[in-house]
Amino acid sequence: MLMQTHAVQLKPQPILLTSRREETTVAAVDTSCMKIGETRHGILIAVRGATVCKQNRKYRYMRIGPFIFHVTEENKKEVYATLQAAYLNASHEHMPQVMLNLMQMPTRIANLLEKWLQITLAKTLNNSLILFDGSLTSGTPDTPTTLMKETLSTAREKGNIILAFSKITNLRFNGHIITEMLPLHKPPYMLEAVGLKPKPPIVLLGDVYVARLTHGNYAFRLDIDKEVSSEQKILAVERLLGNDLFQQSYPETLRLSHILCTFTANEVIAMQHFITRKYGLRILIRPDMHKLLFGPFGRGEGYS
Amino acid sequence: MKLYKKEGNIIQILSFPNETVEKGDYLIIEDGDAGKALIVQVIDVQFASIPGVLEELLRSLPDGGELIQGEDFDPLEIAPHITYIQDASMLICKIRATVENENLSPSSSWLPSRSQSMIKKLPIPMLLKLAKVNGKLPIILGGTKDSALLTIDASSLDGRLNIITGKKETGKSHLSKLLMLNMVGYKATVVVFDLNGEYISLGMTSDEKRNAYHDKIHVLTPSQNFKVALKQVNLHVLLGILIHALHLPGTSAREFRRIWQSLKERNMLNMHELSEAIRNWHCNQHVRDALFSRYHALANSGFFTDEMGGAMLLEECLFKASEHGGAVIINLKNTSAIDRQIVVEYVLGKLVELLISWKLRAIFLFAEEAHLYLRETYWDDIVTRMRHFGIFTTFITNQPDTIRENIYRQADNIFLFNFTNEHDLEVVSRAARIDAETIKSIARDLPPHHCLALGKVVRDFPMVVKVKALDVKTMGETRLFFKDMN
Repeated sequence: MLMQTHAVQLKPQPILLTSRREETTVAAVDTSCMKIGETRHGILIAVRGATVCKQNRKYRYMRIGPFIFHVTEENKKEVYATLQAAYLNASHEHMPQVMLNLMQMPTRIANLLEKWLQITLAKTLNNSLILFDGSLTSGTPDTPTTLMKETLSTAREKGNIILAFSKITNLRFNGHIITEMLPLHKPPYMLEAVGLKPKPPIVLLGDVYVARLTHGNYAFRLDIDKEVSSEQKILAVERLLGNDLFQQSYPETLRLSHILCTFTANEVIAMQHFITRKYGLRILIRPDMHKLLFGPFGRGEGYS
Repeated sequence: MKLYKKEGNIIQILSFPNETVEKGDYLIIEDGDAGKALIVQVIDVQFASIPGVLEELLRSLPDGGELIQGEDFDPLEIAPHITYIQDASMLICKIRATVENENLSPSSSWLPSRSQSMIKKLPIPMLLKLAKVNGKLPIILGGTKDSALLTIDASSLDGRLNIITGKKETGKSHLSKLLMLNMVGYKATVVVFDLNGEYISLGMTSDEKRNAYHDKIHVLTPSQNFKVALKQVNLHVLLGILIHALHLPGTSAREFRRIWQSLKERNMLNMHELSEAIRNWHCNQHVRDALFSRYHALANSGFFTDEMGGAMLLEECLFKASEHGGAVIINLKNTSAIDRQIVVEYVLGKLVELLISWKLRAIFLFAEEAHLYLRETYWDDIVTRMRHFGIFTTFITNQPDTIRENIYRQADNIFLFNFTNEHDLEVVSRAARIDAETIKSIARDLPPHHCLALGKVVRDFPMVVKVKALDVKTMGETRLFFKDMN
């Protein structure tokens, strides 16, 4: 991500949090993608998305997919444009032109599905907390600013608050990753990051915090919708604390949505079986040059 | 099914959920190019090691044991494929034979093509045909899993040593009765040491009517309708009883021999004169005491009589049985341990005597829980010497460790019922005609009344059979206290 990070500062005074137990629906969304094989013409991609809602102390999921795509150099633009139009209800002309690399297609397609699931949750839930995996940064090929703005404003209209948890961050303060600079306060608390000035066209649609929500040395970057007042932001995190389980500072709803959408090895085999049986596609097994050349020192090539 | 791996004589086959294969089933792996096929038997069915299954199971239980509820929108219907892959199983198979030009050979030295081989279930009737498990004297043991009848040839029990074993109430006695009655049907002479009086009503149907075997079943109950006079007993048989059953020391046995010779010369061999002779014999007092105590044991058994009338029954029954086929049931129920040994020593001695003199051709001996009455030295005798005289034994036991290891090694046929105990399976697996893995794996899962037939009767193709029912009056039921309350 292109981001000016030199000016990032963490406010020294932590925002202390108290768990608020008033019943609030917590929802999370995540997607995963995988290249499940290669054919003579291109690659086979599988994507799947999952949303998890915690309501009345019960988790409930909705899993969508897997969707399998045979993407080639010839059809990649068409596939992407069609999905963009279908998922995001946006015509090809109104969306930013994206340079499509065949190897990046799994991530691109999964991202489309994720955006669709995010906006769908924002539209369908009321007065809920919606958890995203990642940040609220927009202006990237995968996250057009208009789309992210639309998602956030739709959520606000319905009384929802979006909180985005990043597992990894590159933001540094005084040379240290911001999530590794934890003051000696008893969790739960947040530290507000200020002074972030992203380089255009990148736009930051959320305020950035470092959230340490449980004991242990885990903290995450947490982005909360900029348009929401500071009090509401804090309240949202406190309601999240009171309505979801936390392990290692990470909300269970988001963890479940990640687990549910991830592909296991046997699912990959099953999808390969399906493709071979149903469409007669012959999956090529290319020699793994790393293993071939470097033996045990060569990295694995996954399932492909 | 797909051929996956071969290690030694074990073949691993990947099987998919729509292919129903169970332990004990036979498969044929046909290699068209090689013009040969392997016959293998499934000895274990395991889950195939599919990567990612653990993760799949873990994510279905993320909430401390409670299944997470939800919906799956799976437009391509991949889920059945996932289940299909997850439920794939690995069949662990033992190579039994190679088929080439419809001829069987025990060879497993070649490797069928992994990619080209066709693997199919081999129906039992076809296997029986290939293995030529048939003959002129068929005995229907029962039904196999694919509803075929398993028929063995009675001649495969002829001259053989057989063992029927399994835990309690699995159907051992039932099978021994089935074999015995079929042998009788083919005019064989059968002798049964019936420990619990289970065989005495084999001549009756379950509704207590006479059946076809009624006149061929001769029940001899010691000290009731089965007694012997000393005159009919050979000295070596009686010495066998005294030494082995009653533990008479050597010195005393020598004195007894002299007493016996003296009485025989004077034609005074009877119990009364024997008692008098011991009393008046010039010998050491300890020897006299020893002889007297044995005499009283013989007298108290009620098995010895001075009346000649009731004493010829065993020979009569045996001769009758040898003419038309029949079974002599030695009913040892309600007989004390010592008396049992006396009777068994006598019967075996008499059988050997009749067989040596060719008065009998051969007999089939069925011995239930033989360790309770058979002396140590007889075990080796039965499998070596007596076999040459024409005593072909079938041991029936629920305690396999009571039969010596050398008996298992020399057993020609084993009919194995369910065992769950590792130790029991370990003992039986010492049989020479079959590998330990097959026994341990298949016997553990046998349902009641199902037996694994091993050995010559099935031409060394172990087969699981549900033993067929018999319409005879059963006597082996356990007496129950709560029977009427249930």
